[in-house]
Amino acid sequence: MLMTFAQSLSETSLHSWVVSQAWLWPTLEVTHFFGLTLLIGGLLVVDLRVLGFAAFSPLLATYRLLPIVLVGFGLNLTTGVLFVFGDPFRYAANIGFQAKMIIIFLASANAFYHHLRITPLLSSANLNAGAPLIAKVSAAVSLLAWTTVLLLGRLIPYVGTG
Amino acid sequence: MFLWLENTPMALWVSLSYWAYPLLLSVHIIGLSVVAGIFSMRDLRCLEIVREPSLSLFLRYHRLALVGLALNTLSGLLLFSSQATVLIESIPFVTKMVCVVLASAVAFILNSRLHATGGRNARGLKWLAGLSLCLWISAIVAGRLIAYIF
Repeated sequence: MLMTFAQSLSETSLHSWVVSQAWLWPTLEVTHFFGLTLLIGGLLVVDLRVLGFAAFSPLLATYRLLPIVLVGFGLNLTTGVLFVFGDPFRYAANIGFQAKMIIIFLASANAFYHHLRITPLLSSANLNAGAPLIAKVSAAVSLLAWTTVLLLGRLIPYVGTG
Repeated sequence: MFLWLENTPMALWVSLSYWAYPLLLSVHIIGLSVVAGIFSMRDLRCLEIVREPSLSLFLRYHRLALVGLALNTLSGLLLFSSQATVLIESIPFVTKMVCVVLASAVAFILNSRLHATGGRNARGLKWLAGLSLCLWISAIVAGRLIAYIF
């Protein structure tokens, strides 16, 4: 099924465009690195603060960094989609890539849960004693998941294909 | 000297072991996200792209960024050792090293300025933050291009 999908991607004009531009691929890679820096850098500040790091500073103030995190995610979603269009068979068959997509899905679900349930909870709670346990669990899941995504992405050229 | 470095047991382990290179690259990208990630958040805050969190928060995160920097100095040195003679003549590699050294110096200056004012205001820090951001961006571009330009 994945291979059929890859086949159809390889027949698109977007595929032809990506593979025909000599400088596009390295430009996309560099942009993917900028995106990951903003995404993980921002989440590192936010999630570690939720976990109790730099406790002297107001917790929710760090959440103002989240739009930057979303910019990073948007950059990497866009460049990532172009990578897949450019080399569909390689990614479809790559275990590292498949695992990376699953973890991104889980990390995003956790982010939605955090936004819908935990942020309102933090806004109303008295945070003098630190964030509630559920918030800390969500922050830890976020850090762990995105670190795994980072590692799986880096290992795509080295892990087995199918 | 670089030839000698390439033939040390450490360098030979990096080039001959199947997992050493990907393992070091993994450590290197985690370090990158910590160093460039934290410093770019601090820079964007200094440039007032965002108004919060407080600047003083970054005095604490500065130390964490230094842990990332140490991690990458170590993993970078090991990666370098396995291809020292080639890399030392690579323009993107040398550019990256210059950018990282300058960006680290800027980070220390910025941090001591923040420390001196207790992180109360960003005045006079904007151009340092802008410079820092440009240097980290250049370091990432140059680093990524090592694989493309020799």
